[in-house]
Amino acid sequence: GGGGGGSGSREAVERLVREHPVVVFMKGSPAQPLCGFSNAVVQILRLHGVEDYRAHDVLQDPDLRQGIKNYSNWPTIPQVYLNGEFVGGCDILLQMHQNGDLVEELKKLGIRSALLDAEKDQEKK
Amino acid sequence: RGFASGTDGESRLARLLREKFPQASAIKVVDISGGCGDMYEIHVESEEFREKRPVQQHRMVTQALSEEIKHMHGLRIFTSAPK
Repeated sequence: GGGGGGSGSREAVERLVREHPVVVFMKGSPAQPLCGFSNAVVQILRLHGVEDYRAHDVLQDPDLRQGIKNYSNWPTIPQVYLNGEFVGGCDILLQMHQNGDLVEELKKLGIRSALLDAEKDQEKK
Repeated sequence: RGFASGTDGESRLARLLREKFPQASAIKVVDISGGCGDMYEIHVESEEFREKRPVQQHRMVTQALSEEIKHMHGLRIFTSAPK
């Protein structure tokens, strides 16, 4: 329902997306993703050295599972939020990872991507 | 389940996408569920996507297929503007 009490209400979701610079709604957990698309998001974040983020397992909460889709007007899980803003699902995150946008977006959040250090190591060789 | 085989589902979705994206220069739909008709890869290339952020482009597709998506387990979306 919409009343502000349920875990899927707009207010509840708003609180969740704002609680950390990087928030992910997924199936399973980062330690144990339960879907290939959710796993892809976890792996991409890991590549960039982002291990400190909030992950919510929608399989544990049907109200949240529907609520997050209503909130973003996006029909699928996983959903990635950076600084409280919906960025996209795993296809978008993959695209951002491949074209360098993810490094830039993380920088705006004050997060230095691990890939920048990997590049530095490359240059030293 | 199964009145729509993989190929039927692909054709139906491609037809729907052609209606919703009249300016599309390329549309491809691939059943990636092993023929079960519940997971697809959607490729749309259209002038309508130019200058739009990827999430906006993808949202145009999810909105065009909102009814169909309700019956899918998942989908992958690839959008672009013609080069």
